[in-house]
Amino acid sequence: MTLLAITLQIFRYKPGVPPRYDTFTVQVEDTAHVIDAIDAVWAKQDHTLTFRRACHHSSCGSCALRINGVEKLPCITRFSEVWDGSSPLRLDPLRNFPIVSDLVVDVSGFFQRLSAADMSITRDAEPFLPLSVDDLADVVQPRAVELPDNLSRFNRFENCIECGICMSACPTMAVDDKFFGPAGLAAIYSACQKTDDPDKVAHLLALADGEHGVWRCHSAFECTEVCPQAVDPAGKIMALRRQITANRFKKSRRR
Amino acid sequence: MSPPHVIVIGAGSTGSATAHDLALRGLHVTVIDRGEVASGTTGRNHCLLHSGGRYCMTDQESAIECIDENLILRKIMPDLLELNDGLFVAVTEEDLSYKERFLEACAACHISARDIPIKHAFDLEPFLNPGALATVQVPDGVFEPFRFCLAFLATARLHGAVVRRYHLVTEIICSGKSVTGVKVMDSRTGKTEILGTDLVVNAAGPWAEDIAAMAGVKVPVQPTAGVMVTLDCRLNNLVLNRLNKPSDGDIVVPQRATSTIGTTSWKVEDPDLITIPPEHVEKLIVQGEQLMPVVRKIPMRARMAVARPLIVKSGDDARNVSRTFECFDHAYDGVDGFVTISGGKTTTARAMAERVSDLVCHKLGIAAECRTREVPLASYRLFYQGGQQ
Repeated sequence: MTLLAITLQIFRYKPGVPPRYDTFTVQVEDTAHVIDAIDAVWAKQDHTLTFRRACHHSSCGSCALRINGVEKLPCITRFSEVWDGSSPLRLDPLRNFPIVSDLVVDVSGFFQRLSAADMSITRDAEPFLPLSVDDLADVVQPRAVELPDNLSRFNRFENCIECGICMSACPTMAVDDKFFGPAGLAAIYSACQKTDDPDKVAHLLALADGEHGVWRCHSAFECTEVCPQAVDPAGKIMALRRQITANRFKKSRRR
Repeated sequence: MSPPHVIVIGAGSTGSATAHDLALRGLHVTVIDRGEVASGTTGRNHCLLHSGGRYCMTDQESAIECIDENLILRKIMPDLLELNDGLFVAVTEEDLSYKERFLEACAACHISARDIPIKHAFDLEPFLNPGALATVQVPDGVFEPFRFCLAFLATARLHGAVVRRYHLVTEIICSGKSVTGVKVMDSRTGKTEILGTDLVVNAAGPWAEDIAAMAGVKVPVQPTAGVMVTLDCRLNNLVLNRLNKPSDGDIVVPQRATSTIGTTSWKVEDPDLITIPPEHVEKLIVQGEQLMPVVRKIPMRARMAVARPLIVKSGDDARNVSRTFECFDHAYDGVDGFVTISGGKTTTARAMAERVSDLVCHKLGIAAECRTREVPLASYRLFYQGGQQ
């Protein structure tokens, strides 16, 4: 185990005081994740530093921030991925969210969008493993599993962990704060897939088709680039556009 | 007359469930946490919704608590659980020798356990150790500790509770022998404030000793750390447990597209300064390989360590401390209006909350009964949608 001395430049903001960067040097193991260094700053140097975190394994989505300008989950980001070995590492809060204090942002508007999109955090799952490591897919072919008598289906948490990283990276969000946003639009897409209720689909598609919906997206695909969970919000926004356009053609033919 | 005001210190699973219980009983509740919801022990969790199978052979009381709460949580937060059951796997002849005892112990704790044909287990779990000898299916599940707490707190807020995050408790204020207030510092603004109270519930987990010391009392909580390793691929459909006595690395919990191997166990002095011993990570991989040999080939997505608040009884070592919980009324230590709830686990948080809320209501002369077994929780998202607090 090797110890690294890492200098962090952390964005500081408290209401009524101009924002600034504070510099802290902490020692962490070479195998540590960025969240461990933030934790060490809090525990050993400054109890007034505020940041969000809970699960430390990319399940809760709360710790999202920007590391040297790029949106990341510090709980799964190793120093070897983001640190050049000498320069200070800069930590900033997410963009496009109101800042509450230091690295803490107000996620209420984001959560309102996800509720409006009727995003449920669990879903019925495919009856095989979602193999994310390519070598394994060669070993075990995805195949349907015969469920035990007492289970009618598998279910899983949605891949989206509501971290807000896509909202922060989205160039459209920066110019239209009412934009429904990548996560919200991806959630609309998923909710449409989950339901057979035509009224619900119509309601959700109307939301996606609205003034601040899919047509505002500049197709920059930044959201898909930074998403730590491979949700591919941009791909889902494109799919929603196709669905909405197809529905329009159907309607015009009926006339 | 306005209802009594109770301050709950700690927004982990115990504090969140306690706030919900007390708010439902009509009390005025304020929750204080030094950080975000579930930023302590609760958050860093392998996320197992216990069936009780892990404890049925060694700690029947814990096992029954687990299965009872497992069934209640399925009713009150159905949308916040991955419910795919679990398997207890016998890998060695020694493991196999536990099978009959395990099935009997599950039956004695009303845990529905089924010996399933090993061929079916290999079909369900393509990465299961091909040398596995037997598998028993139990009603394990998977939760998300953060949203688990948010749901309790969102519901508590709908019933009037106030949640103050990022507030450090700096002093417990007493008048005579009674606690009358809590001094807090809001880390977001630097402002300090004294909150008056009729009673304080100390639900600070492994930090409970520090809070108790501010009130001049002691609690027998031993911070006991554990390491967990999360792999960057979901390797199992069901939770996989080793069929044997509880030990390090005896479980692989799948969630979303990951699998987490848990846990190890050692005593620590300061829950804020835990270093992950590399040999613990290696031990988890070695033990995980026993359940699924492919484990070592999978990149690690995360590794974490946190201290659990175990209750010490004399002569216990870190692994054998009971996983059940205890409630302490510090009036017996000469300080009134101050109670501590500790021990337990996230699966049993609601039961812990019921126990401490019964005590709180008894002390404050409130007759309301516990309703948390039946009342479904509100959407966890409402916690934030209520605005900043």
